[in-house]
Amino acid sequence: MKKLSIIFVLAAGVTIVGCSDVKRKPGAVYMPDMGDSRAYETYADHKHLADSGIFYNNRPVNGTIARGEELPFPLAKDAVGDSTNYVASKAIPNPLPALNAAELKEAERLYLINCGICHGSKLDGNGPLYKGGDGPYVAKPAQLVGAQYDNMPDGQMFYSVQYGKNMMGSYASQLSRKQRWSIIHYIKAKQAEAKGGSAAPAAQDSTSTAKK
Amino acid sequence: MIHLSRFAGKLIFGFTLAFLLQLGNGAFAQDGKALFSANCASCHSVTKKSTGPALAGVEDRWPDKKMLHAWIRNSQAVIKSGYPYAVNLYNEYKIAMNSFTSFSDADIDAILGYIKTEAAKKPEGPTNPDGPVAESDNSLLFGILTLVLAVVAFILLQVNSNLRKLADDKDGIPAQEPVPFWRNKTYIAFVAVILFLVGGFFTVKGAIGLGRTQNYEPKQPIFYSHKVHAGTNQINCLYCHGNAQESKQATIPSVNVCMNCHMSINEYTGKDKLFNAEGEEVNGTAEIQKLYKYAGFTPGQPWDASKATPIEWTRIHNLPDHVYFNHSQHVAAGKVQCQTCHGEINKMDEVKQFADLSMGWCINCHRTTQVQFKDNGYYSIYEKYHENLKNGKFDSTKGITVEMIGGTECQKCHY
Repeated sequence: MKKLSIIFVLAAGVTIVGCSDVKRKPGAVYMPDMGDSRAYETYADHKHLADSGIFYNNRPVNGTIARGEELPFPLAKDAVGDSTNYVASKAIPNPLPALNAAELKEAERLYLINCGICHGSKLDGNGPLYKGGDGPYVAKPAQLVGAQYDNMPDGQMFYSVQYGKNMMGSYASQLSRKQRWSIIHYIKAKQAEAKGGSAAPAAQDSTSTAKK
Repeated sequence: MIHLSRFAGKLIFGFTLAFLLQLGNGAFAQDGKALFSANCASCHSVTKKSTGPALAGVEDRWPDKKMLHAWIRNSQAVIKSGYPYAVNLYNEYKIAMNSFTSFSDADIDAILGYIKTEAAKKPEGPTNPDGPVAESDNSLLFGILTLVLAVVAFILLQVNSNLRKLADDKDGIPAQEPVPFWRNKTYIAFVAVILFLVGGFFTVKGAIGLGRTQNYEPKQPIFYSHKVHAGTNQINCLYCHGNAQESKQATIPSVNVCMNCHMSINEYTGKDKLFNAEGEEVNGTAEIQKLYKYAGFTPGQPWDASKATPIEWTRIHNLPDHVYFNHSQHVAAGKVQCQTCHGEINKMDEVKQFADLSMGWCINCHRTTQVQFKDNGYYSIYEKYHENLKNGKFDSTKGITVEMIGGTECQKCHY
């Protein structure tokens, strides 16, 4: 009787201590016949497809352009230490016509998600990652409103977004070409606004595209 | 007397001078800071390598102060002159420094002064001496308390029966043969009912939970804290999971998205220490090093993205194949916040599955959630509903739920 109670207390202690509320295993499944996909789902491991003679690399065929997407940027990335194409990109105009109010709003939303984190919601180069030097980001992001970038042509901006510049990485995988060009329209509109130009931002934009 | 006043006058003069000098010094440093952040900070940091070298101790690296001034004003000219340190510097970074011809000597000295004072400051590490905030979990205490009370109750019952036996003996009532408690029918029935209830509860609960993975919190290959990224640093969910607004899958960001920021951020310097779910401290900087291993990146050198290998994160949220779920339908058309289904992800260090993702959970939300008709082109075709809302046939405060536009039809999700 005494032995039994000791064993019982020990067992209870072990269960209580051993029960962590952190669930590191997904748990049991009962008959997952209709649960597991027979088709290849996103992120499914398809390494062994090649063994069955099936070619698949989850990338679009070279040279294809998605519906509604802009044509690819004609310049390649410069080699390290070279800046020929970066300079040449100045001549490339923005293929998108001036944005209407709704498109501008969408461009602003995309800017705030993807660019504002560093370049700031006011385009002052002081986003939450930099915070005037208190944030974790080491380099001060470019202040997009101001003399230095007001005169930067659309094409050169696109070059930087497409291939990255200095500490900035490429955003080609996160934004479509159309989205990138429309964000550049948005930045140009904001720059015109900051300059205090009485002209409507959209009108300002169309002239900047025409100028090349 | 005259002597004393003259002495006092000198003293006051001295103090004023010192004060003015101090003020001048402060203004000087301030000016340097402004100049530094406007002209230098986009490529240089004081303590860390960025696009250009870290600037702490820059004056000691240049043997000649005149040469340093010339370099800042026009670096190309210094390189062309063949000055060995300048040539080496260009070969290391492979990027030409902008020319700052408009800087006066005083400007450059102000910047160098600012760099000196910044470099002398000690770096602040993460501070949180209290350790993890112990979450008050009382269940163990309650368990012990229950056990103690049960033992006390049992002892009292025994005492009671013994006392009664004594009393009966005294009164001369013949004592009944004492029945040990494990053969006592009342006890046995009681225990059986309790076991049935408890066992039944856990069996049903376990059966319902089969295949559901609520609270699943796997160890990921890299300790990636959503709290630090989405909470402290306010990065939008869609920055990394951009496809949530465009496709069925929210998608996990590829390594190049991490490297957008981590090319520059190579150590964790946040104020809060990091802890995993077990309460063990995690070294943030070491976790960033793990990312560099996947990316094939060495800090301070240009990164070749083609050398990166994917990080195999463990999937947490997983719906069975017979359910169709589309992220963009919910995020873009329905305008549902990420946190509605994923919980307060911006407060989680390690992500765990917040909702049970059961059918009842889906249906309940479809029954109560109002359709966001306003400024939403996706629902413009529901003219009848728009009309009825305008006419007051439908209570506009209650709105139109997802169920009313067919959100609980079987074929919506099962086909």
